[in-house]
Amino acid sequence: MTDGYVQQPGSSTDVRVDGKRIAGKMSFNPPGSGGSRPEMAERDLDFIPEVEGGKEAQPAGHHQHDKYRTGTTVGKRTPLVDGNAKVTGQAWYGDDVRLANEIIGRIVRSPHHYARIKSIDTSKAEALPGVLAVSTGEDAPQRFGVLPVTKDEHAMAVEKVRHVGDLVACVAAIDEATAREAAALIEVEYEVLDAVHDPKKGLLDVDDPIHWRGKYHIGSTNVQKRVFQEFGDRSKLEQARATHHGKWKFMGVNHGFTEPHAVVAHWDPNGRLQLYTPQQVPHYAHRALATVLDVPMHQVNVIRTFVGGGFGGKSDPFPHEMCAAILARKAGRPVRITFDREEVFWVNRGRHPSHIEVQMFADDDARISGFEIDALIDGGGFASFGHVTSYYNGVLATAPYELGSFHYTGARVWTNKPASGAMRGHGAVNTRCAIEVGMDDLAEQLQVDPIDLRLANLLPPHSKTITGFRITSNGMRQALERVREGSQWDKKFRKLPLGKGIGIGCGFFISGSGLPIHWDPNKFPHATVHIQIDMDGGVTVHTGAADIGQGSTTAIAQVVAEVLALPLEMIHVRSHESDTSPVDLGSYSSRVTFMNANAAISAALEIREKLLDAASEILEMPAKYLVLNDRRIYSKRDPAIGMSYLQALHKSQEDKGALIASGAYRTPPMGGVHKGAAAGLAPAYSFSAYVAEVEVDVDTGLIKCTDVWAAHDCGKALNPLAVEGQIIGSCHMGLGQVLSEQMVYGRTGHLQNPNLLDYKIPSVHEMPNVTPIIIESCDPEGPFGAKEAGEGPLLPILPAVVNAVYDAIGIRINDLPLTPDKVWAAIAKKMKREDIADSQDLPVPRIDFSELQAKIAKRSTEHNDRDGRRQRSEDTDPYINGVLFGFDPSIPPEEQDGEWKISVRPDSEQLESLGLAGSAWTKIEQRKMGGGE
Amino acid sequence: MVGVRMVGEEHVSMIPVAPSNVWRASVNGRSQEILAPSNSILLDVLRDRVGCLGVKRGCDMGTCGCCAVLVDGEPRLSCLTMAKECEGSQIISVEGLSNGAHLAPIQQCFAECGGSQCGFCTPGFLISSQALLDKNQNPTDAEIATAIEGNLCRCTGYQQIIQSIQAAAAIHRGDNSLAKPASDAHSDPHPVGPN
Repeated sequence: MTDGYVQQPGSSTDVRVDGKRIAGKMSFNPPGSGGSRPEMAERDLDFIPEVEGGKEAQPAGHHQHDKYRTGTTVGKRTPLVDGNAKVTGQAWYGDDVRLANEIIGRIVRSPHHYARIKSIDTSKAEALPGVLAVSTGEDAPQRFGVLPVTKDEHAMAVEKVRHVGDLVACVAAIDEATAREAAALIEVEYEVLDAVHDPKKGLLDVDDPIHWRGKYHIGSTNVQKRVFQEFGDRSKLEQARATHHGKWKFMGVNHGFTEPHAVVAHWDPNGRLQLYTPQQVPHYAHRALATVLDVPMHQVNVIRTFVGGGFGGKSDPFPHEMCAAILARKAGRPVRITFDREEVFWVNRGRHPSHIEVQMFADDDARISGFEIDALIDGGGFASFGHVTSYYNGVLATAPYELGSFHYTGARVWTNKPASGAMRGHGAVNTRCAIEVGMDDLAEQLQVDPIDLRLANLLPPHSKTITGFRITSNGMRQALERVREGSQWDKKFRKLPLGKGIGIGCGFFISGSGLPIHWDPNKFPHATVHIQIDMDGGVTVHTGAADIGQGSTTAIAQVVAEVLALPLEMIHVRSHESDTSPVDLGSYSSRVTFMNANAAISAALEIREKLLDAASEILEMPAKYLVLNDRRIYSKRDPAIGMSYLQALHKSQEDKGALIASGAYRTPPMGGVHKGAAAGLAPAYSFSAYVAEVEVDVDTGLIKCTDVWAAHDCGKALNPLAVEGQIIGSCHMGLGQVLSEQMVYGRTGHLQNPNLLDYKIPSVHEMPNVTPIIIESCDPEGPFGAKEAGEGPLLPILPAVVNAVYDAIGIRINDLPLTPDKVWAAIAKKMKREDIADSQDLPVPRIDFSELQAKIAKRSTEHNDRDGRRQRSEDTDPYINGVLFGFDPSIPPEEQDGEWKISVRPDSEQLESLGLAGSAWTKIEQRKMGGGE
Repeated sequence: MVGVRMVGEEHVSMIPVAPSNVWRASVNGRSQEILAPSNSILLDVLRDRVGCLGVKRGCDMGTCGCCAVLVDGEPRLSCLTMAKECEGSQIISVEGLSNGAHLAPIQQCFAECGGSQCGFCTPGFLISSQALLDKNQNPTDAEIATAIEGNLCRCTGYQQIIQSIQAAAAIHRGDNSLAKPASDAHSDPHPVGPN
């Protein structure tokens, strides 16, 4: 016994009662067993599942990873592992990278919406002392884009500029002032072209489309992508008991991350590019850089700095990254480019401004017999992620409700605005708002409670949507029930006085994209994680997962710590450099926790196996009788028989050196075969339900959201602290879009508010009191059951607020954001129409339940039983959307009774009846007209 | 340096020339003497000359609060402050909040209670909240909201920031119940550290 070190009970003898020597019997926590605590912690039974002998309740059933739970960190409120760097100012973001001899780059931007470049004269800029490099589009003719099918960007404009702020040239000089001055000295002669600002005009044939796609160009319009989908049986829609028709306008919104874009490029003495950038998706930037700079990928090292917020806005490969690299190559010195806030708005990639029309139908049994959605989205000057966005606007509306039919027409058009792209809740947010408000209206017409209407029409766990998405775990029902209970919905709905209202909204989102964007080679994994353990016992985890503040580094460290039963402080995640990190597809589509943590678990399991083998050899005891706990491996029966983690580690390192393992994750094969079937496919889906309470000042139209009950099904909260942070943060961002945020383009098409003073992000005073409620549905394929929590929680807040405003003042406004002027104009219009003199006399909606209410309550009780059985895998029959309507999941759709249909092209007779976006289908592709060279 | 050169006859320099002077102030307890143009912005001097890269540039127009520093104990937006105004002042940036290797309570609580996600706005929030806690160790949520209303956070939705500040206030009051660490991953990195 030594000072400061406590012998474990039972280890005072080295000989068993039968006289046999106990192999591996040793002092329990010798100094150097890793970590800073001398004693072994007790197994934390509160965080070990019931099935493994712990006390953690498992209402949603068991999980394949349950047997690897050690009670170390999964499920515990865990601060971010990089938190200390952030609170001490040591986290290094893009502009904090300072290299010796660096020079400063500036971008020359277009002052015109749309113009042909006639000439660029850089001579004056080049002559300015202190200027070290000048570059124009000629230096980088290769096109790039985040999606391989729509590469339509250049590092700098070639031939044409496509929006105000489009890159034309760039300069690098010894300091910022000189660089700015040089930028002003670059003379560009333009021929101004007719710009398109209104997305509706983007559907028309024009002389000079913003991009030309050759034989695939649609007419001579500015339509970048059009989608048509028709599923199910639409023949019964005319007999609907309730019909909702909503025509929506959504303004574009920007991510509003606090860190402006910044990049540092440096060509090292061996001619390799070292590029520091706050990227969500370093790998796609890596690919694009290699293409544009014409160097092999292995000659580029992309170093992800800390990312000061992304939300989708830092996921494209960006032209300014190419510019910095080009300038650095020319100047032979490191180049740093940092945007000012206005430039952030010129780059944009925010949520698409959209015109969305929805028609929704409910039949006599209060079943949802059809959704008809038409979405015209304004893509701005470039494609970005738009190809996918065009699908997401429709297909992510196909759940959580069981639909009799689904019809979607979508079009994305190029306009002369900064490009729209992916933003938190990519493509799903606006349509979700429209249909959730539609559900509210259907409930109103059917005279039923909107929560009960939803509960009676949910798809069960382990089912398929009408478009063939495979739903695994599904906590939608619990989410609805929990917010109903938490908000005391039944005491408030349609019972609050004028000016106070309560509303419900649901959400559904992908947890990782089923197909990687670059799908070649076909069997390439989506995520790879390497684990390496050296003699000291510290665990180094190499991953390319980009932590953008969401805590992915922490989540990966957690799962490794959990499997190996090591304290978090012994896990070191290295994720910044493409040189040392395996390829990872990046932080988008809410894929990181699901895919990377799965890859990390599989690598950690390999390590675990090797450690157990070593321990089993020393202890002469089969590995199945061993348990891992807090830096120790010991017998399940007698904790005294065991060894430290280091001892087992050193045994398994004999003759080998470092213990190394690699794990990967790839999505299982899934999805339908129709065109576009892959868009929206995900290995799991998250579900959420929010109730919002608002106060509306009927004299000014000012809306104040006071309380939100936010239930989100994230499968399993690996880190409840981070999940709650994501839920509350999503509420904040969604509230911004519904109440105050908008990118305002004036009459001349010019963006009028490219700064954070006029672009109104909610401050602390606008935030409601959010009660986050975590639903754990235990996804069978998720890491320890986890699904996403980063984007899905944003969706329900918009419709919940819009529905609450209706509950408060009896007016539905289909034009976001709900700024006081719009709300007041709607109130004034209603007062005039209904001849009301005082706004305090506005009628408030009330409800008398119809006979349907009892009917759907009964159905939802039955479905509750059904869903519970399916969730616990007691009922494993296939379930495909439509069963509620008599669809037989055991036979193919084309053999079903009735007019069950799958179609992704409109028939010629359908063409005339299509909506706004659908009218894009009336145009003919160039190749079918023999044109398009 | 800039603008003294004329290029072409019609070219007018964009940025007015200012002679460089010696700027003296105490930054995080160390006195600084820096040759800087007399029209320098405090943010530029702190980031580019003093090397306080923890002071963040988010918007350059006083809207985001990321660049806040304490000037003689008062929170100021360094992007809207001329360096000249702070001659001879005591300036504290985020780097100066901790006591050597020991985190200040406000830093510890931001790390532990989810007050920091991407972390870019965090330095500004820490400065605003420290200024509040220096005056008021028992703030209400409304007082905290008023203190941080000039800071924008896009990640957290502010709720966990308010909880972090409340937890730090409790430590300042000597009440440790609110500030219990959520795990030991973030215990003081130097429990018996250099200071």
